[in-house]
Amino acid sequence: MAIRQSSENGRDGRTGGVPAPRGGGGGSGGGGRTARGGGRPPRRPRRRGLGERAMGRIFLTPSFAFMAVIALFPVFYAVLMSLYEIRGFHQDFAGLGNYARALTDPGFYNAALNTLVFTAASVTLEFTVGLGFALIMHQAFVGRGLTRAVILVPWVIPTAVAAQVWRYMFDHNPGFVNAVLGTDVNWLRDPVWSMVGIIAADVWKTAPFVALLLLAGLQTIPKDYYEAAEIDGAGVFQRFWSVTLPLLRPAIVVALLFRTVDALRMFDFAYVFAGYSNSLATLSVYAQRFLVAEPRLGYASALSTVTFVIVMLVGLAFISRMGRHMVGDTAREVKR
Amino acid sequence: MPFAQARPARPGGLRPRGRGRRAARSLAAGAAALLLVLSTGCGAPPGQEGGGAGLADDPRFVWAVTGADRAVHEQVATLWNETHPDRQVEIYFLAPTADEQRQAMFQDLQSRAGQFDVLGLDVIWTGEFADFGYVESLEDLRPEVEGVSLDGAVDTAQWRQELFALPYSSNGAFLYYRTDLVDEPPRTWQELYETGIEAAEEEGISGFVGQGDRYEGFVVSYLELFWAAGGELFDEEQTRTTFLEGGAAATALDFMTRAHADGLFAEGYDSMVEDDARALFQAGEAVYMRNWPYAVPLLSGEAGEESAVADDFAVAPLPTFDGQGGTSALGGLNNAVSTLSDEKELAREFVLWAATDPDAQALLARNSLPPTMESVYDDAEDPNFRMLGDILAQAHARPPVPGYNSLSLAIQDGLHPAFLGQAEAEPSLEAVERAADDALRQE
Repeated sequence: MAIRQSSENGRDGRTGGVPAPRGGGGGSGGGGRTARGGGRPPRRPRRRGLGERAMGRIFLTPSFAFMAVIALFPVFYAVLMSLYEIRGFHQDFAGLGNYARALTDPGFYNAALNTLVFTAASVTLEFTVGLGFALIMHQAFVGRGLTRAVILVPWVIPTAVAAQVWRYMFDHNPGFVNAVLGTDVNWLRDPVWSMVGIIAADVWKTAPFVALLLLAGLQTIPKDYYEAAEIDGAGVFQRFWSVTLPLLRPAIVVALLFRTVDALRMFDFAYVFAGYSNSLATLSVYAQRFLVAEPRLGYASALSTVTFVIVMLVGLAFISRMGRHMVGDTAREVKR
Repeated sequence: MPFAQARPARPGGLRPRGRGRRAARSLAAGAAALLLVLSTGCGAPPGQEGGGAGLADDPRFVWAVTGADRAVHEQVATLWNETHPDRQVEIYFLAPTADEQRQAMFQDLQSRAGQFDVLGLDVIWTGEFADFGYVESLEDLRPEVEGVSLDGAVDTAQWRQELFALPYSSNGAFLYYRTDLVDEPPRTWQELYETGIEAAEEEGISGFVGQGDRYEGFVVSYLELFWAAGGELFDEEQTRTTFLEGGAAATALDFMTRAHADGLFAEGYDSMVEDDARALFQAGEAVYMRNWPYAVPLLSGEAGEESAVADDFAVAPLPTFDGQGGTSALGGLNNAVSTLSDEKELAREFVLWAATDPDAQALLARNSLPPTMESVYDDAEDPNFRMLGDILAQAHARPPVPGYNSLSLAIQDGLHPAFLGQAEAEPSLEAVERAADDALRQE
């Protein structure tokens, strides 16, 4: 693939100091540009004093320090706090006691299960709906711009606000959702239906985000492939299955990774719908319960550390499982 | 350890020693500071809530109090400043909701910022703040308030028979009823149940609205039934729970379960808070309502409110199961002195004044905020207000044990699904009993 190849080379060029072939659109024009690029002097004269790398490091130090303060410090601090039993001005070192307590706490497992159910259902639905949206938005038709704008509206609304609106619509008084569906369901306080409710609300909210990511992926697939497949006699579904999906894989992985990690940390909908209620409490809500409602800072830190580890593991699993294919493909293509 | 003497004795009190303790303390302080930064960064825009009221030109100490009923607290502080010009107080208004107030005070204390001298505590927080070492003991001021303040209010200000705060304002429940639909207010819950369902069916409206959402309001509603059936959460010494003794717990839960199943409770009772109930009753959609006194002027159509029941409602004490006595839960605020205060003497003086000064307490009454001083009720002319005095005199305090919040969450976790028929009654009640026990043992 010409596009990806040239951009890879471009990156190499920047780090190694070797003049790179400037990336171009079609594969056919690439050769000529490479030749032009090769006409430049191969190396800059060496400067005295600090090398480029050292200078780079120095320039990067403030950003790294800044990142460390705002991103790494709180994480390590939370881990440190999770080793203490903290009740107001009384603090005891508890070692791993808070973690032992979490692992024997039914509330924790309940929250983990809620989170798992929510994540599996919402990510699956969001992906399906989002892919549908993306395919629609990718088609050329009259009013395409307007459609794109309309589909993206839910994603622009802040989650906390959306959650309040949905809670109101699900509420028995005035009972909008029940009136529209012609049902008589206790959407907010029935343990099963309230989970259906927050999943529906989350799909409504985030499917557009998935659609946006997938649309960006669709737009990188060259039309040539579809033409070639059509000439070879592939039908609509075969083209979707054998051309679109494989070439969309990088975008799909990114979309699923983002959504899964996000869903595992879900707080807004569950909290707005049911507070600290066990029926909806996710891991984040459960940690918040011990931060605010039953203030035990040590236990809350242990819970949020466990949540952090779970989210990180899932993220890493995604990257190493599906990501390796991506990286592998790219590497092979670059060699070609 | 400058404030060690203020700390209540902890049974089996293991406390960290030496360096470990210091490390742990600075750790928690830092964490709370971090929280403070985060929460102020994400909170409401300044000026909407929080911040000083600018009442004093030379304030000597700060009173942190709820942003609800702002005008009343401002008048009280102004009165103090006029009568004590050399010891003026500045008010710091916290958010109007209880959870946010508690969080703001925790952050101030835990981060050792200590900008508040007097803390306006909700009646259920006394034990927690005392146990955490956040507030000074005020036991030596007991003779000043005993017999002056309502007994129930004094109960809410103590933990393990030691006073940690003094009463300031109170609150109690009215049973609102429709005078055009029922002749007499019911004396028992059974009577309410029957007349409520009957009148509701005739009119095509709901029988009963109140605080049924899964929050502290539900706990109050349940405990009022529980007390009405003769139950007590703890024994006198607050050493063990008596939740399941005498069957009151089951009677109360059974009443709620039947009221929900048979349609006495309005649809959506299980997600209703104070103002949802008020709005439905005001629109003429319910026969009975359990609510705080704040709804009276609104339902009467004062201050431009639209009310369908302006001339068709009255208030009464909540019923019981045997027709005797009253069962309201006590709400309200107590004032406590922060252990981090630099002006503890001044703060104590102010707390005592707010509890016992007749003019200050009368200011509350004039602004429809129930005071805690008994004599104010005797002098009142408004019959509803005198009735409130009687209700408060018999009202029950939710026990302000350190683990009250955990107990409250356990009642919500266990009994809310149970009354909706989503969980078995018996195991749910047993779970609450265990939580009540834990709340005493504070782990």
